[in-house]
Amino acid sequence: MSCEQFELLGLDMDRPDAQPEEAVSAREHAASCERCFALLQSWRELQQDLRLLQENTRFLSAPARVEMRLKQELRTRREARVPRSTVAMAPWALAAAGALAVAVGWMHWRDGSPSRIVNKAAVSNSSRSGTIAPDSPMLLAADSDSGAFTRLPASMPSPYENREILQVRMQRGALGRFGLPVAQDRAAEWVQVDFLVGEDGVPQAVRLHDDSQLDSTLQ
Amino acid sequence: MKILDEKEPALLKRAVRGDEGAFLVLYQKHQASLYRYALRMTGSPWAAEEVVQEVFLLIIREPQKFQPDRGALGAFLFGVTRNRVMKHLERLPREDSLDAINAHGTTWREPEDPLTPMMIAEKSERIEQVREAVLGLPTEFREAVVLCELEEMSYEEAAQACGCPVGTIRSRLHRGRALLLAKLELLRDAPRRASAGAK
Repeated sequence: MSCEQFELLGLDMDRPDAQPEEAVSAREHAASCERCFALLQSWRELQQDLRLLQENTRFLSAPARVEMRLKQELRTRREARVPRSTVAMAPWALAAAGALAVAVGWMHWRDGSPSRIVNKAAVSNSSRSGTIAPDSPMLLAADSDSGAFTRLPASMPSPYENREILQVRMQRGALGRFGLPVAQDRAAEWVQVDFLVGEDGVPQAVRLHDDSQLDSTLQ
Repeated sequence: MKILDEKEPALLKRAVRGDEGAFLVLYQKHQASLYRYALRMTGSPWAAEEVVQEVFLLIIREPQKFQPDRGALGAFLFGVTRNRVMKHLERLPREDSLDAINAHGTTWREPEDPLTPMMIAEKSERIEQVREAVLGLPTEFREAVVLCELEEMSYEEAAQACGCPVGTIRSRLHRGRALLLAKLELLRDAPRRASAGAK
């Protein structure tokens, strides 16, 4: 190994990743060359100083405030993420609500548009009771509308919260099956009727929409 | 499975979703080496602190920048740290020396030393001289010295960290050593020459 080569490679002889052949020939050269030996000695002194510096800074780490700031950033982002995900869900919720509205609208359209409901009921009592014809068009309209109904003959009163309202379009003559008197000459007319149905599924009360003219029916 | 046994990409995913525990595992694993590198390169505890904070903020805010198929998280974090350090060195002159570490409130503590006060003073002076000499090196030579001598990386690891061939690292280290030797000789001979002149 020449002095030039020693300057380039010789100082690496103590490194763990040094080439073994290079290290051997560097040692041999340093043993035979005073100048390169002096250079090696100077380098070893410097290496010791570098070790001192390394030891002196070995356990340094970022101050605790950095960790605190980063944790704060994580928390802020986590909190900010909650409303964002709600916003992200909104279009889906709107779409679902829209689809539901269209479906309900279509069902209403198919069954005929319901007219305004009025509390106009003066039903005379009768001793007969009956059930809704299975092929009658029905719609579950609400479960909490308990506005003035007329109790059907022979029905048992029960708490209102357990009952549901069924909107039914039916021929006026069918009301006779619930014990209501019907004028025979108008029995073929179609009317919109709300039934108040109990937990047992039996209608308990009835109300007719204003255009259905319950009064005239019950003549 | 314990959190410490989880792989880093999985931990990172959890951390980004707001899992503080997962984030802390990653932070504690990498922060010290990144901080030391930044501190040894910049000589400024403030700059090192800022660099480490920026690196971890980046991984929180833009985790998609780390791609596990392109390398380990540690290598990615080191690359980002290195870029930030280089930007800092381009932008600003060296701000203050490492003396100020305690004043800046870092976690550094004087190691317990059984030496006499005289020996401690001498040792501190030597450390200070070599620290000044390292910080006075041109950036690329300083980096080679920091990585290969202070961080004890192999040539290959250092070359990978710097994104250059092994030969370049060896050459930079060779130049860095030569400059360090010359600087320290100057620093240490100056008082000797002064005292010789006074006699």
